[in-house]
Amino acid sequence: MTPARPRGRGLALTQYRAVVRKETLQTLRDRRILFMLVAAPLIQTVLFGFAVDFDVDRVPTAVADLDGSGGSRGELRRLLADGTLRLAERATDGAAADRLLDDDRAAAAVVVPPGFGADLAAGRTARLQVIVDGTNPVQSGAATSAAARFFGARSQALMRERLAAAGRPPAPEVRVTPRVLYNPSLKTAVYLVPGILAMLLVIVTTIVTAMGLSREREVGTLEQVLVTPVKPLVLLVGKMTPFVAIGLFDVLLALAAMTWIFAVPVRGPLAVLALGTLLYLCSTLGVGLFISTISSNQQQSFLGGFLFVLPAVLLSGIMTPIHAMPGWLQLATYLNPLRYFAELARGVLLRGAGFRDLAPQVGALAVYGVAILALATLRFRRRLL
Amino acid sequence: MTERLRRFLLRVAAMSGKEVLHIQRDPRTLYLALVMPVLLLLLFGYGVSFDLDRISLAISDGDRSSASRALAGAFTRSREFVTVAEVGPDDAERLFRRGAAQAVLVMRPGYGKDLGRGEPGRAELLVDGADATTANQILQKAEAIARAESLRLAALLGGMAAPPIEVRTWTRYNPAARSAIFLVPGLAAYLLAIGAVLLTALTIAGEWERGSMEQLFASPVGRFEIILGKLLPYLGLGMLQLLLVLAVGASVFDVPIRGSVTLLFALGLLFLIGMLGQGLLISVLAKNQLVATQAGVLSSLLPSLLLSGALFPIENMPRPLQALARLVPARYLVHGLRGVLLKGSGLGLLGPDLVALALFAVAILALATARFQRRVA
Repeated sequence: MTPARPRGRGLALTQYRAVVRKETLQTLRDRRILFMLVAAPLIQTVLFGFAVDFDVDRVPTAVADLDGSGGSRGELRRLLADGTLRLAERATDGAAADRLLDDDRAAAAVVVPPGFGADLAAGRTARLQVIVDGTNPVQSGAATSAAARFFGARSQALMRERLAAAGRPPAPEVRVTPRVLYNPSLKTAVYLVPGILAMLLVIVTTIVTAMGLSREREVGTLEQVLVTPVKPLVLLVGKMTPFVAIGLFDVLLALAAMTWIFAVPVRGPLAVLALGTLLYLCSTLGVGLFISTISSNQQQSFLGGFLFVLPAVLLSGIMTPIHAMPGWLQLATYLNPLRYFAELARGVLLRGAGFRDLAPQVGALAVYGVAILALATLRFRRRLL
Repeated sequence: MTERLRRFLLRVAAMSGKEVLHIQRDPRTLYLALVMPVLLLLLFGYGVSFDLDRISLAISDGDRSSASRALAGAFTRSREFVTVAEVGPDDAERLFRRGAAQAVLVMRPGYGKDLGRGEPGRAELLVDGADATTANQILQKAEAIARAESLRLAALLGGMAAPPIEVRTWTRYNPAARSAIFLVPGLAAYLLAIGAVLLTALTIAGEWERGSMEQLFASPVGRFEIILGKLLPYLGLGMLQLLLVLAVGASVFDVPIRGSVTLLFALGLLFLIGMLGQGLLISVLAKNQLVATQAGVLSSLLPSLLLSGALFPIENMPRPLQALARLVPARYLVHGLRGVLLKGSGLGLLGPDLVALALFAVAILALATARFQRRVA
C-alpha cells in the first residue's frame, strides 16, 4: 500500500521542509562560508568598537611663544595641561610652526604674538592664533574646540577678576549645566555599536543572497530544481529561511559581544528588537533577491550589492548624523531600511524605548520588507517561467 | 634572449587581450566598476559631515520671565538650534525615546530673579547621549551660547564689552573646513581597494569555479604570464578609477592638487599592484566567488575604511590596532594622497609611504605567485 500523498497545504509544507533541508546542507557543506557568516560579523563588531573613537586627545601641538612674558607662558601652560593638546615641539616663529605642520610633526600650532602679555596686563584684548592641520578633520576639530573652550572660560574668569579688583558688582553670568542621558561619558563605542548591527546584517544577508542565487543561475542548478514539483514561491521561501536563521544568530552573537566587551546596555524590550530584526531581514533579503534578478553573474551581483550596501550604510545615520546632511539627502534616507533599523536598535538598547515609541520605525520596516520582497518575488518568478 | 622576451610579452598580451574581451563582453560590470566610485564619492562628499545645524531643541520654561525668554532666544537665534516643542521639565525622556528632540533646555522658576539679584542664572540642558557625535556638538555649542549670553548681559550693564583674550583659528590646507576636501583622498583608497581586490578575486575565482583555469594551464602560457596577463587589464581599470575619482573630486568638490602629479600616480600604481596581488592571493586560496567576496571584504575593505585613517584617526586607537594599522597599505596611500593633494608634500616626506606600498606589493605578489604555482602542481 502506498502512503497517502500529501496535498494542498500539506504538500507545500513538505516541499518547504525539503528545500530548507537542502539549503541548510548546502550552506553547511562549505565550512568556509559558514565561518564567514558567523565569524565575520563578530570580527566587524569588535573592530568597529575599538577602532572608531571620536574622542581625540593628545593632539601634537607646536608652540611659538613670540611674547615670552610671564602672562603668555602661564596661559600656554594651562592650555597644554588641559589634556587635548600635547606639546610636540617649540617653534621660533609662526613660519617655523607652519613648517612643522607641513612636515607632519605637529597637527596644531599655537602662536602667541609679541605684546600678548602686555595687552593682558593692561586690560586690553590680548590676541593669539591657533593653526590646525585641516587634512585631519577629527584632530583639527578637537584642537579648535579645545582652544575655544579653554580661552572662553579664561576670558570669563579674567573678566570676573577684573570686575572684582575694580570693586564693581560681578557681571551677570548664565550657567547652562548639561546632563547627558543614556551615555553619560559619551563613549563612541556605546552609540556606534548598535548601529553596526544594522550594517553587518546587510553585508551578510544582501550580498550573500544576491551572489548565491546568481551562482545557482550560472551553474544551472536553479533550473534543475524547477523541473521538480516544488513551486517557485516555496523554493524561494525555503531558500531564505536558513539566512533568516543565520541573521538572527548573528544578532545574538553581536549583542553578546556588545554587552560584554563594550558595556552596551540593553534597556528596552528585546521582543521589539527581535521583531524589528525579523522585518529588517525581510528587507535585506528582498534587496538581495532583487539584485540577483537584475544580474546575470556573480560579479554583477556583488557590484550591485555593494552599490546598495555602501550608500545605505552611509545614509543610515550610523556613523554621521542624518541631521548634518543636506535636505535632499535627508529625504533620501527615508527610503533606507538601515536608517529605521539603526534607530530601532539604538532606541531599544540605549534609550529603553518600547513598541509605542518605535511604532513608526517598525511600521516603515514592515512596509519596506513586504514591498521589496513582493517586487523581487514577482521579478524572480518572471525570470524563471 | 630577445626572442624569449618577445614570446613572453606576446603571451602576456594574449592573456590580457582575453581578459579585456571578458570585460568587454560584460559591459555592465564595467559600468558598475566605473560608476560606483563616482556615485559613492558624490554621496560621501555631500552626505558625510559632522557639522550640525538646526538641532531640534525642546524648551521647558518654568520661569517665563524676560530673562528666560532671552536665553531660549539665544539658542534659537544662533540657527544651530530649532525649537520643536514647549514641554514640561519631565518630558525629556519621552521626547528622546521617540526621537522628537535631541536636547531639552530646562529653566526653573527663579531663573530671571537670580540673574536680577546678580547671582548666576542656572539652567539645565538635557542631552540625548544615544548619538554621541551629536551630543558632543550640542555640549560645545551650548557652552558657547551660554558664554555669549553672559557677555551680552554684561555689556548691557555697561563696560567690559571686549573679551580679555581672543583666539583666531586658522585651518590650514582646508580653510573653509569642508569635509569633502579631506574625504576625497581617504575615499580614493577605499574605492580603489574595492575595485582592485574584489574584481580580481572574483574574476580569478570564477575561472576556478568554471574549470577554465585548468584549460589555461594546458596551454603553453606559463603561470607567471597568466598572472601578469590577468592583472594588467585590472591595473588599467584601477588607474582609470583613480583618474575618475580625482577628476570628480577636483571639479565637484574643488579638491586641489598641490603636489606632483607623478608622485600621485606612483602612489596609486604601487597601491593598486598590492591590492591586485591581494585579490589574486584570496582567489587562489578561496577558488570560490562567494568565499572570495567575504574574505575580500574582511581583509581589505574593512581595514581600508577603519584602519587607514581615512575617517578615524589612527593615533586614537588602542595599541594593538595601531600596530595592525601599520600593515594596512591603504593607510600609506591615504597619508600620501593627503600630502600630495592638500599639502603639496614632496618625495622627502612621502618616501616612506612609497617604500611601504612597494614592499607590500612585492611581498603579496610573491606570496600569491608561490601559492598559485603550488596549487596547480
